[in-house]
Order: sequence, then structure tokens, then C-alpha cells
Amino acid sequence: MPNMSTNKQLYNGETVSGKTLSDADFMRYSRQVLLPEVGEAGQLQLADACVAIIGLGGLGQLAAQYLACAGVGNLILIDMDKVEVSNLPRQLLFNDGDIGLNKARVAKRKLNNLAPHCTVTAHETAFNAETHADQLADVLLAKQQGKRVLVLDCTDNFATRQSINRCCIEAALPLVSASIAAFSGQLFAVDQMQLPSGGCYQCIFPAQTRVSQSCGTQGVLGSSVGVMASMQSLVAMQLLLSMDSDCDKAQNSLLGHFWRFDAKSLVWTSAALTRDPHCNVCGSKELHPSFNMHSKLHSMEI
Amino acid sequence: MILIHINNIPQSLTEPTSLAAVILGQNIALDSVAIVLNAEVVPRNRWQSILCQHEDKLELFSAVAGG
Ligand SMILES: [Zn+2]
Repeated sequence: MPNMSTNKQLYNGETVSGKTLSDADFMRYSRQVLLPEVGEAGQLQLADACVAIIGLGGLGQLAAQYLACAGVGNLILIDMDKVEVSNLPRQLLFNDGDIGLNKARVAKRKLNNLAPHCTVTAHETAFNAETHADQLADVLLAKQQGKRVLVLDCTDNFATRQSINRCCIEAALPLVSASIAAFSGQLFAVDQMQLPSGGCYQCIFPAQTRVSQSCGTQGVLGSSVGVMASMQSLVAMQLLLSMDSDCDKAQNSLLGHFWRFDAKSLVWTSAALTRDPHCNVCGSKELHPSFNMHSKLHSMEI
Repeated sequence: MILIHINNIPQSLTEPTSLAAVILGQNIALDSVAIVLNAEVVPRNRWQSILCQHEDKLELFSAVAGG
């Protein structure tokens, strides 16, 4: 995998890997490319990246816009729900004319306009044991090809969150998860390959955890959902741009943290994640850095 | 006397008390929260075996699943 330290040496606009940004892309992404943390190499890395966004509600519809417009080359959008009128105050990608249409399908169409260079795939199905192998096949393929990959959990219920976590652990995919209900937001990033000591979602909240909070029952302000989606996107961008773990402590310090946001006081609280050695999702499994895709897809069936 | 803080509220313990017992003492169900002890998430499996120390800072919170 080309990393930024070797790929970033610019000489007449040439990178070591031989790829360069077009003049149009230099203009378009100039405010990002100006950052030493991005540069031309980082922008090219984003163009190669593949990110799955599960859930196109308040969180997912905004994260999808940020990532697509920032130049992430491949987005996989997964949602079986249809746009409802009660979504519109916070899901700004959608409007009245979209009511009744599938969210992933509408989001794909709109992102094609906002970010024509982003290849968007829409899966209009629920994320579950029957569907996820198909939904994440492109992400796993990109991972095998050495490209940057990421899964964003933007869903609205605990059971699906558990299932996404399990799937990411088993397929060794990095996961950035955000959630919000009422005035409480939560955000964390885990990556079994880069930081196994951070454990997983199940280590924090075992499957039998009682959960009462959802936007549907508790309500939420659109702007606070936007804060969480923006932070999730920010973590995602930095993970997509980060170099290998040993040489970039700063980027990887985003892994293995659990942040809570109090949308009333605007206070963020951070805690370190610790692995539960007895966790039945991440605790006992042998993880392999490179795996056979077919055997992996099979073993992913929960 | 062992003085601890639970979500920033001081609480005194008269004898060494496990995290699990502290939570139950708050009338909170063990399966409804996560615990951060001194800025580190403590997996639920360890709550019985960890005894609170003087000046420990505990944060209890429930899972938020909405989006
Ligand atoms: Zn775990």
C-alpha cells in the first residue's frame, strides 16, 4: 500500500505512484490539498478509498455529503427506509418531493449531482445476516486491493449497531460509529487491525444491554445530529488519510476512544476504550491481516 | 472513608465497594449502563472485581442508538 510519506514527494506534480491530480481537481480540492496532512497524495488516496455508510438518516445523509464532496471515490449507501416528512427538518439532503422514495436511492441520485466523480452504489435493503456479505463485498474487495476502507455506522437501533460491529470485527474492517438521541451523542472508532486493545462496541455495551434512547421516541434537534455527523466525518477523513500506525500516532489516537457529547452544555467527554478479554465478538477471535474473501464472506454469516 | 465521584456528584463509601455494588446502590440496573472509571471504559465483566479507590471518578451512561 502506498503511504503518504513516500507518495507525497512532489516533483513537477508527480507522485511516486505516478498518479497525479488533474488541474480541475487541484482547483476543486485546493483547500484540502493545501493542508500538509492531505496534499496531492492524500487527495489521490481519498479518490481510491471505499466507504460504506449504513443508515442514510440524519447522520448518514450528512456524512455521505461530506465524504463524497471531499473526493472520496467510492461510497456504498445502505438503507431500506423511505424518506418521511418527519425526516426533513434534519435530513437536509432530502426534500418534499422525495417522500416515499428509498433513502439510499435518493441519496445516490443527489450525490451524483453534488460530487460527479464519486461512484455511489445504493443498497435498498436492511443490513442483516442475509444481506451484509453482498452489501460489503465492494468494501472487502477494495481492502484486498490495498485501498483505504471504512464502515460508518449511522443507524438508528441497537440491534443493527451490534450486528455492524460484529461484521466489522470479523471482516477486520475499521468502524466509525456515531449516534444521537435527545441531547446525548456518542462517537467512537475501532480498528481490530491497527488497535486491537481498543476492543469493540460489544466490549462497551454487551448485546443484552437495555436501550431506551432513540430519535423516534425521544426527539432530537437537527443541528445536534449535524454535530455528530460532522465529527464522524472528521474522524473518517483522518482515518482515510492516516499513514501506517507506527509512524503516525496523532492520527491513530482517534482510534480506541469513546466520545460523548452533551448537546445542551456543548461539553465533549472522552474515554479510552479497553478490550474485554471475554468479549464474545472481539475477545477470542484470531484475526488475520489478509484473508480469503470467500471464506471470510462465509464466516461473516452470523 | 472512601470518597468517589459519580457523574461529578461526591459519594462516600464506608467500606471497599465493587463497581457493580456502587451501581446497584444507585438503583441502576447493571445491564442498562456503561462505566467510565478515571477516563477509561471498564468492560462489564470486570465490575464485580474492581473495588473503588479513594477519589475515583465514575461516569455512568446508557447506550444511545439513534441516528
Ligand atoms: Zn469486543
